[in-house]
Amino acid sequence: MSTRSKWTAIPGLLALAIGAVLLSAYSGASSAEGRGPAQPIDFPHPVHVQQLGMNCTYCHYAANKSPDAGMPAMSTCAGCHNAAAVGPNRPKRGDQPARTSQPLTKLFEYLDIKGGGVNAKPVPWVRIHKVPDYVTFPHMRHVNAGITCQSCHGKIQEMGQVYQAASLNMGWCVNCHVKGYDPVEGRKLTPATDSLPAPHPPMAAPHGVAEGATPRTTPSFTGERKTARYDCAICHY
Amino acid sequence: MKRRTFLKVLGASSAAVATTACSPDDVGKLVPYTVSPDQTVPGVSTYYTSVCRECSTGCGIIAETRDGRTTKLEGNPADPMSRGALCARGQSAVQGLYNPDRFRGPMQRSGTTWKAITWDEATTLVAQRLGAGAANGLFINQHESGSFNTFLEQWLAGAGMRPHLSVDFEADDAAMQAHREAYGVAWPKFDFAAARLIVSFGADFLDGWGASVPQQLDFADARAKGVDAPRFVYVGARRSLTGLNADQWIAARPGSELAILNFLRGQGTAEQAAQAAGVPAAELQALATELRAAQPALVLAGVGTDDALEVARAAAALNQQFGGVGTTVRTDQPVVAYDGMTPIRELFAAVEQMRAGQVPVVFIRGTNPAYYLPKGLDFAGAMAKVPFKVSFSLYPDETTELCDLVLPDLHSLESWGTAQSTRGMVSLQQPAMDPVFPGTRATADVLLGITGRRTAAAPATGAAAAAAVVQNNYRNWLMQQFPGGARAFAAGLASGMVQGTLPARAATAGTMATSVRRAPALAQQQGDFILVTYPSPVFGDGRGANKPWLQELPDPVTKVLWSSWVEIHPDTAERLGIERGDIVEVSANGKSVRAPAYLYLGVRPDTVAMALGQGHRSGILDGWFEYGDTDDDAKRVQWGYGRYARNVGVNPFDVLPAGQNDAGGFAWTSTKVTLRKTGESDTLVSTEGSARQHGRGIAQALTATQLGGLMHGGAAAAEHGGGHAIAGAASHEFQPGLKSPVAADAQGVLGSPSAENQGKDKGLYDPNHPTRMATRRWAMTVDLARCTGCSACVTACYAENNIPTVGAPWQNATVYAVSKPGFNVTRGREMNWIRIERYFEGNEQAQFGEDFETRFVPMMCQHCGNAPCEPVCPVYATYHAPDGLNVQVYNRCVGTRYCSNNCPYKVRYFNWFGYGEEDRKQYAFPEPLNWQLNPDVAVRGKGVMEKCSFCVQRIREAENRAAMEGRELIPDEFTTACAAACPSRAIVFGDAADPNWSVSRLAQDRRAYHVFEELNTYTAVVYLKKVNHPGATAAPAAGASTTAPATAPAAH
Repeated sequence: MSTRSKWTAIPGLLALAIGAVLLSAYSGASSAEGRGPAQPIDFPHPVHVQQLGMNCTYCHYAANKSPDAGMPAMSTCAGCHNAAAVGPNRPKRGDQPARTSQPLTKLFEYLDIKGGGVNAKPVPWVRIHKVPDYVTFPHMRHVNAGITCQSCHGKIQEMGQVYQAASLNMGWCVNCHVKGYDPVEGRKLTPATDSLPAPHPPMAAPHGVAEGATPRTTPSFTGERKTARYDCAICHY
Repeated sequence: MKRRTFLKVLGASSAAVATTACSPDDVGKLVPYTVSPDQTVPGVSTYYTSVCRECSTGCGIIAETRDGRTTKLEGNPADPMSRGALCARGQSAVQGLYNPDRFRGPMQRSGTTWKAITWDEATTLVAQRLGAGAANGLFINQHESGSFNTFLEQWLAGAGMRPHLSVDFEADDAAMQAHREAYGVAWPKFDFAAARLIVSFGADFLDGWGASVPQQLDFADARAKGVDAPRFVYVGARRSLTGLNADQWIAARPGSELAILNFLRGQGTAEQAAQAAGVPAAELQALATELRAAQPALVLAGVGTDDALEVARAAAALNQQFGGVGTTVRTDQPVVAYDGMTPIRELFAAVEQMRAGQVPVVFIRGTNPAYYLPKGLDFAGAMAKVPFKVSFSLYPDETTELCDLVLPDLHSLESWGTAQSTRGMVSLQQPAMDPVFPGTRATADVLLGITGRRTAAAPATGAAAAAAVVQNNYRNWLMQQFPGGARAFAAGLASGMVQGTLPARAATAGTMATSVRRAPALAQQQGDFILVTYPSPVFGDGRGANKPWLQELPDPVTKVLWSSWVEIHPDTAERLGIERGDIVEVSANGKSVRAPAYLYLGVRPDTVAMALGQGHRSGILDGWFEYGDTDDDAKRVQWGYGRYARNVGVNPFDVLPAGQNDAGGFAWTSTKVTLRKTGESDTLVSTEGSARQHGRGIAQALTATQLGGLMHGGAAAAEHGGGHAIAGAASHEFQPGLKSPVAADAQGVLGSPSAENQGKDKGLYDPNHPTRMATRRWAMTVDLARCTGCSACVTACYAENNIPTVGAPWQNATVYAVSKPGFNVTRGREMNWIRIERYFEGNEQAQFGEDFETRFVPMMCQHCGNAPCEPVCPVYATYHAPDGLNVQVYNRCVGTRYCSNNCPYKVRYFNWFGYGEEDRKQYAFPEPLNWQLNPDVAVRGKGVMEKCSFCVQRIREAENRAAMEGRELIPDEFTTACAAACPSRAIVFGDAADPNWSVSRLAQDRRAYHVFEELNTYTAVVYLKKVNHPGATAAPAAGASTTAPATAPAAH
């Protein structure tokens, strides 16, 4: 390659580089998809969801009535993992011997079981799914529309350590809003035992304007793809 | 290119991507509750009823609380007084709650320095001091209605102290005394709508004279009667906000009001009164004639001169004479919030006792006499004679600086209480959240603790002591005292209002001061100008100055902010060679203050006016108190009433003597001053722009006669507008634009459902799209006949939409930094999404003697159907949503500001600096002010354009709620923050495409017009013209100047 052609190549290469940057940004290279950091306690979703058959909204109790899904209060954990289990905190069950579970030991430390719960502290869970400040995401609208949790969060029931399953980029959101959500596909991701959260009863309105409210019907799993509003100001404000 | 080179480049560019891409990894923690509180859902607001304590009225409020933090206050619709409205001061109570300059815990002074101590040490100190004898001790409390008065009286009796002083420096003692004498109540309800003529003698009932919000609601209702609305005449030397709302201004010289009132009562001649007042006799004669003809009338008096009581008595007599009592003056629905208030003369007497060394101990709670008492009284000198001084203040104010011990109280939004604003109705004050600073404690509980410390001879130990403390708290006391007991108390919390009457505090009047030290009459004083002072409608007696929203709120009259100013008539200014912004020196009694001049048509040429409220100072040099060794602003407090108040403006009371009026109240207007041009000049911090409309027809008005013609004929419709045609007036051509979600020419074929366009994908803009988004057209009406210009909407908007304040001295550029408060505002960087434009009409030559009219126009994004901002945006950051909103997408915006240039209404605001970014010095929400931020609204970053969104977050919240409940939106189900706050009910928001919403009915009003309709912007904001009532006889004689020369001796 002569010097001259070398110099003429530089603008072209530069353009190529810029193109690569733009393309990777557009295709979601900046997404945290796949990120699954270690948590303060190794919380086993598979045990709770698959073995024990718990519904997501038992712990994430606000998902069907609030923009926030809600993290379970420490008292929710203690409701099942009660203080009687101090010592070998997994009692003998069936053919499984009693043993000390490390995550539960940690949980009891947070709950301050030894001190009678006086100095109970919340577990500082590492956040995984987050949309930016300029995006508003109402969980309850999606849950009540019959969208399964797994459609966005992936097969949580199989995740020993939760990771971000979807890109959460705007294109990913809009795809569903425009082309529609397929309830059958979404249902395939859930465990067989899982049921959708019951429709939320009418919310108490701040100034008492809940008149005319009618109970919602259970979202159906069949039927056509469900589209939604995709105007910018639905989410961005 | 060789293959190897290509791969090299590819590798390099990939590496660049990897290093430059933003890292989304650090997304924080999700920290759950340990025990979830009942009846709360994370992410959903909880609403608590409470009571506003920003002034003595005590309006019922609803505090919106999200995840344990109060974010927004609104009026409680169940309150018969405030009826769901809330003023700017009330709105900004949350900035008092989250003020970064709040004390974190008790403090003790040692010499000139302060140190933090524990509550244990603090209560022990007080208990020891009280044990040593405090018989003549004083407790000075900011007046608040309700049970705390009674509680305090009981406690003081137990401690062997005298009854406390319940003071409110903003209150008009003279008016209250006259009301009691004439009507039997301290403050009757003024039924403006029942009157045919309102005459106010300096009674600024919209500025804070009495119960502002209820009075404004009633006044706006009266003005909304259109043709039948009462005419309003204002008599006074300075046109206040109230005065600007009047149809006629009689610019009487201060001190001449009594002569005019006497003339109106039939004593003396018009000429005599006119001679004293310096106004034409014909004006007074016409007023007298009108008063006799227009019955019932309402006459109000609240003057600042030394004869205030006599004037108030005369006004009351006039009401009795012309049959106003019972109709316009409603004694059956009185405001009882001021009952039990201590007259100011007792505070003055108490200061003298302190100076004489008769007071062993002083407690001060919630009030700041070191700031607002005139320096002629030398409060600081008196305090120095008191051996032990305790402050319960939340903030490091001037009074606290003089004390020995600080026991920081809880904010009213964190504490329990009751209030009684109107007869037979008790409002409950409940905490909306846990204390922001765990180291602060409710004063009532502290007092109980002190009692416990003193009485426990054999102190209980351990659990027994803890149990006693729980039993013995103020909340339990409150519930025991409550009519109906704890059960009724708990049941009443939901609505916040309970039928009943609280035990009244025994009147303490006369326990301390019997004599009145009346100020010398103005006529006997030396000086060129009479200084009119008044409590600022924004800051009150100065207590609002530490709240950045209020600092950033332009004064409703002058539009000056972050500053003090001297109001000077243009005639005077011309004579003295003073221009706007020139620094002038106001001197009296050998003292002086300096402030920029504001040339104001609405002040007499022989008077100058200054507001109380600014000019907070600290004698502590460095000014910071640090909790721990830190430079972190979030962990230290600034003496001098906080970082937002300190060294902003001046206090006119520095030059005032302690003059009293004949009722013993403070005489606000009792001093003559000299005025001197210093030669210095500075840009006045103001958002005023031009005070004139220059024929643009922004604020339109018609007379009652023209309105009558409109209503009964229609032929007159083309004529109104003051004789000359205003573009766009008298047409309803905008209606199609308002009706259809998208104006046809804005969206081209997308907006046109014609046959040839069928089959084209109009997407969301198709009204038949399954989302049905395009069937709505969000719109707003603003009734200028109702709007008083009070600016409550502005502060409500700041609170709702996370709007940063930009005027703090440290918030300007890093390079070429200028530490002038409000500097950014002088560069036009303020961010008020809604602003109140104030225009003067008439008196173009600015001559004294010719009347002028004022029009207030709330101006916000007009959400044009055919918006000029939209096509110029290169990145589609602003566009028209199918439901009629002009949307600004912050994450798209790259900050070209083309949209702002192209906006005819100038309602778009640019984030010049990182006001929303925590790590910048311009950050507008230092911890814990950021706790207030509305979680539903994005905090905008640097370089982003922003503007009114029609509270889109409230629209979406209501839509979500309706969808969850399986229903359509109910008409008028929700409204925007400005409309919710408006104490005039001037703003109405809703869906103009649905005839069941109020807004679509109001948009059909005959007074409706669009601003700049000729630009075909198809705005979604419809203004209703102001209605003027010029009166048959009030036409001012053009050019006939009746100005008494300012230098002439006042003929008093």
